[in-house]
Amino acid sequence: MDRHPQEPTPRGLILIGIGLFGVLAALLLGLKPSGLVPNSGGLELAREFFAAALDPAWTREPGGLTPNPTPLLPELGLAALRTLIFAAAAMSLSILVGLPLGVVASDTWWKRSSFASARITAAGRALQTGVRFWIALMRSVHELIWAVVLLAAVGLNTFGAVLAIAIPYAGTLAKVFSEMLDEAPRHSAKAFEGIGVRPLHVFLFGLLPRALPDMIAYTAYRFECAVRSSAVLGFFGYPTLGYYVSLSFGDGRFHETWTAIYLLLALILFLEWWSTAIRSRLVS
Amino acid sequence: MQSVDLEIASGEIVALVGPSGAGKTSMLRLLAGSLLADQGDAYFEGQRLSRLDAADLREVRSRIGFVHQDHSLVPIFRAHQNVIAGALGQRSFWAAARSMIRPTRSDLDRAHRLLARVGIPEKLCLRTDSLSGGQQQRVAIARALFQAPRALLADEPVASVDPTRARAVLTLMKDVARERGLTLVASLHDIRLARELFPRLVGLRAGRVAFDAATHEVDDTALEELYRLDGQALDSDG
Repeated sequence: MDRHPQEPTPRGLILIGIGLFGVLAALLLGLKPSGLVPNSGGLELAREFFAAALDPAWTREPGGLTPNPTPLLPELGLAALRTLIFAAAAMSLSILVGLPLGVVASDTWWKRSSFASARITAAGRALQTGVRFWIALMRSVHELIWAVVLLAAVGLNTFGAVLAIAIPYAGTLAKVFSEMLDEAPRHSAKAFEGIGVRPLHVFLFGLLPRALPDMIAYTAYRFECAVRSSAVLGFFGYPTLGYYVSLSFGDGRFHETWTAIYLLLALILFLEWWSTAIRSRLVS
Repeated sequence: MQSVDLEIASGEIVALVGPSGAGKTSMLRLLAGSLLADQGDAYFEGQRLSRLDAADLREVRSRIGFVHQDHSLVPIFRAHQNVIAGALGQRSFWAAARSMIRPTRSDLDRAHRLLARVGIPEKLCLRTDSLSGGQQQRVAIARALFQAPRALLADEPVASVDPTRARAVLTLMKDVARERGLTLVASLHDIRLARELFPRLVGLRAGRVAFDAATHEVDDTALEELYRLDGQALDSDG
């Protein structure tokens, strides 16, 4: 059947559908641009806050428990370091859990040999489906919700904070790793199979190395996300950068808030530079 | 492939030629034991491949080197890792894993000697994806030789290499096969190179052996017939 050039194609219809869905969602939520115009008090606050951006504090503004100005950077520097350490601990745990789960969830792992007997494959299917469900469970709850739950369960415990980030991150890593393994080029693995290499070695040395550059680049990106999550956990009272952001903002000490924000920015930029360096080495 | 009867003696050097889709790759995969015939059988050194269990078949395959068209090396490995990988199928589980992660002195020496034989000893410790296409194909040949194979199969080994380097790579394969007494079977697109370098030609067309003869006995008429485009071929292509 010939289609008239003016007639919308299926792809066009899908795009129109997505657009309509967006409009419908906006209507249901009652989104009005006028709602974003602040009242006069809010405008004053916003002006004060953004004006402070140009003049971040180097010392703690006097007041409350500290009558004299005290240097701010050592304290915030330590908080930035703690933010990084929380994120690093959470990422290490996520990789330890996410990598094996991702391998078991991939199709490649189960189809790595054309000689696997049907019985193993059936049992494997069941395990794979179970693991995929488990991964979805870990991923579907956001780290902030895990933080609330763990805060209630174990109190303001460092390991609780690390777990709150590690659980959903391990799930996300597992999901993405399994997809990267399934999409990795097969040529080396096939060549290894052709010269009698054991299925496990075909996977480890023929397939995994083809997916590894992507997996490492993605992990580096997730590390950056983990630093942000770790900073935000400060809002719950963990001594990361977010703690100082929320405390100083609540007290109206905006200059200090900006110092913390700039430190977070510096941390993220540093990680970005680092992950780019790793990536360029991997892709040679 | 249908009613194919082909026998290749140990140490023979043979080129498989024919148009695309004639069955050259299938033939090589049958010889390598990575494709099993649903009728008939393939034998390697007297062993009937379809009768072997998975472990025995792996053992047979580990004695057959295979050079692929491209991409079969692991790009992020060093050249020596790709070469040593040739022996993965012949080693115990832990020895194989160890040879990939921490190769022994003797493995490295052997990889170095083989890379010297294929003309690129200085690339031993370079990342494979930093090498040119021709150099990668030389690493692939060194990997096949590291297996200490009885036979060397090659599927369009020079398809992604420019003509000058193609001749050099094929000559190298032929020379190493000669000096080690290996059987060499290579499928080739370029009929001129096949006639120039290979003493025996097997012409495949539509899954059948069209001719199988010493190169000097194959005349232009036979080759024209082999590559002739007829209605049937056009139909099956389109």
